[in-house]
Amino acid sequence: MTAIRTEGLSKRYGETLALDTLQLEVQPGEVYGYLGPNGSGKTTTIRLLLGLHRPSAGRGFLFGIDAWHDPVEAHRRVAYVAGEPFLWPSLTSTETFAYLANLHGSTDTAYRDELVERFQLDVSKKVRALSKGNRQKVQLVAAFATRADLLLLDEPSSGLDPLMEVAFRQTVLEAKERGQTVFLSSHILSEVEALCDRVGILRKGKLVDEGTLAELRHLGAQTVEITFAGAPPELALPGVHVAQAGANALRCEVTGSIGPLIDALAHHEVVALSSREPSLEEIFLHHYDGSDGRVGA
Amino acid sequence: MSGPRAAVARRTLADSRTRTISFALLFAALSAANAVGYRKTYPTVADRLRFVHAFGDNKSVRLFYGVPHDLLTVGGYVAWRAGGTLSIFAAVWAMLAAVRAMRTEEDAGRQELVLSGIIGRGGAFVASLAAIAVGAAVLWFATFVGLVAARLPAGGSAYLALAVVAVVPVFVGVGALASQLAPNRRIALELGSGAVAAAFLLRVVADTSSLTALRWATPLGWIEELRAFAGPRPQVLLLPLAASAILLGVALAIALRRDVGRGLLQARDDAKPRFGLLGSPTAQALRTERGSLLAWLLGTGAFAFVLGVIANSVSSAGLSKHVQQELAKLGAQAIATPSGYLGFTFLFFVLAISLFCCSQIAAARREESDQQLETLLALPVGRRSWLGGRLLLAAGAAAALALTAGLLAWAGAASQGAPVSAPAMLEAGANCLPTALLFLGIGALAFATVPRASVGIAYGLTSLAFVWELFAGLVGAPEWSLALSPFHHIGLIPAEPFRPTAAIVMLAIAAGTSAAALWAFGRRDLTGA
Repeated sequence: MTAIRTEGLSKRYGETLALDTLQLEVQPGEVYGYLGPNGSGKTTTIRLLLGLHRPSAGRGFLFGIDAWHDPVEAHRRVAYVAGEPFLWPSLTSTETFAYLANLHGSTDTAYRDELVERFQLDVSKKVRALSKGNRQKVQLVAAFATRADLLLLDEPSSGLDPLMEVAFRQTVLEAKERGQTVFLSSHILSEVEALCDRVGILRKGKLVDEGTLAELRHLGAQTVEITFAGAPPELALPGVHVAQAGANALRCEVTGSIGPLIDALAHHEVVALSSREPSLEEIFLHHYDGSDGRVGA
Repeated sequence: MSGPRAAVARRTLADSRTRTISFALLFAALSAANAVGYRKTYPTVADRLRFVHAFGDNKSVRLFYGVPHDLLTVGGYVAWRAGGTLSIFAAVWAMLAAVRAMRTEEDAGRQELVLSGIIGRGGAFVASLAAIAVGAAVLWFATFVGLVAARLPAGGSAYLALAVVAVVPVFVGVGALASQLAPNRRIALELGSGAVAAAFLLRVVADTSSLTALRWATPLGWIEELRAFAGPRPQVLLLPLAASAILLGVALAIALRRDVGRGLLQARDDAKPRFGLLGSPTAQALRTERGSLLAWLLGTGAFAFVLGVIANSVSSAGLSKHVQQELAKLGAQAIATPSGYLGFTFLFFVLAISLFCCSQIAAARREESDQQLETLLALPVGRRSWLGGRLLLAAGAAAALALTAGLLAWAGAASQGAPVSAPAMLEAGANCLPTALLFLGIGALAFATVPRASVGIAYGLTSLAFVWELFAGLVGAPEWSLALSPFHHIGLIPAEPFRPTAAIVMLAIAAGTSAAALWAFGRRDLTGA
């Protein structure tokens, strides 16, 4: 059974179409990166999946259960980390854990203690006295300690310092090893690149690209940088975009096969040549800047 | 004022516009209605003399309106009747406005942003005050317009309107000071409300007992001593001026020194965990609100006890048949006996407990707008069980308040040997519930359908219904329109018999609206602030 499945899920707020006929499938055990800039519909998707907002059209399922119609059943196998860490100001972290565990029905207290240690939380402090990053850690510890089958994380590392970011990544990988599914909404590309098996890219409420990182890279162009002994030649090849990159150097962005470019270079004296696959950042930017199919900004 | 200060003042003003406009409309309407109504009901001096005989010494009427100084002129009557009520509303408005400007913004974290700009704490404080002063001027003008429209002389009207808003600076000072002392907005509001309630209680005692000197101890009493339309004493204005200067001075001094976001009475931020009342959202709501509940219980109990003590001094000795008829004209036939008086005062507890129910709707709404509800409902917690639990908690607390009021009113009355039985007073207390639950149900339905407007709707409808019951009869509104207010249908136990039909209808509406609310809340998006 799929962990997350949506069928034409759409949401309209007044005039704004926040999510446009989303088709999504996330398999159990997958770590799915959900990428998009601010306001692209990431949080809306999660709220619809959880049944917190009502779909304007289509449906969403968590382990086959439509959370709009049966939220309590749907949430039993799910843990959620909200985008903003608003908790109960007058409760301490320990009390917050107890409260959330009571409501969730199950929690792995040994693992929770380990996570408290790992995230260096002062659990006797009341939530109102915690910084945003520390409140975020409270949410993360509570969510991961449930050992839920599906973790819905909405920009979970916002507010975390680099050390805590490392701890967070370790925790996600542990969850993955245990076979838990992670749905990670983010705009931090390095994090998604490091953690996720598959990535979906959202733009203005539409899923514009989806696949494994390898698949996304294949679709994008690769970058070839060439330094010549003298002045660079004129290269006019189909599928190759050429830009000057210094006095004697060119940067070519190649869509499709690299063969014709190599053939063309055979007649020139090449001092250095490097080629690399597009980074996720380039793929991402491509979907927001490029309308001509060209990779890069 | 210019630049950043003006910007802060404009923002504060815009923030409070809905509440200020609502209050202004109420002030204008009540001022005009009282003048028109009195002139119409008691056109001649002879009529008015009879009215004075009936009401001049009636303690239950003084409870709401204060003490009259001159009832032979329309102006004197309006100063007593509208002035007495409006000054309480003005005090509430002022306290709310100050806490809103000085604490709510801070708790939301916006004040840090403001103070990171080129404006100091003192500047922001003054800017907030300036905005509230503009609001107070609006209230003054609305009252003045209402009085003049009812053909009262302009000079006297201006002075009466001034007397009404003279409490504003004092209670702005109270709200400002509470905002500096309290660790958060909720406690600031509780401190401020406590001060307003204490001022009202003092006025009640001063106006209805032999301790008349107490009138000088409460800002609401000073307003009476301004004596609009009855030999004005403008020098009394020095009292509110001096009091507000002291309160605001202390508040400003603290504001300049304390940490932004923290109060002087800051509770400890570390605590040993206590795991009680964390088993369900309803239990946790009780845990969060237990302090407020206790304050409500204490306040209600204290009020009820004092009113019970006063009750025994009410007597009908020497009231003629004619006076009885005059009393009947105002729908208060039996108020000249202890039990009649207690029955009439329980109208006040019906209002108070109804307002408590509104505050519970506000608490539910805040849990949603602060996004804690989003965290809860992403867990295996059903929407209906969450809202149902909150409504049951509110109903249970309302029942506790109602019975406390009944029991302590009896204790107060019995301590003076008044002939009132405990079961009768408990019945009077329980009799508050149908109306309160009705407003709880309506508030819940508003919450479930129009969340952002719901708190205003709940408080607005409750207040409007009460004001309508007090004043509509006087302006000669048709009977069917009087019947629109639930307060009109309450049997004033122990003076009047319990009205089962009205109670059943109200409870049925309460159940119907609550059920509709549970259904509708399951069908809407969660809505942020």
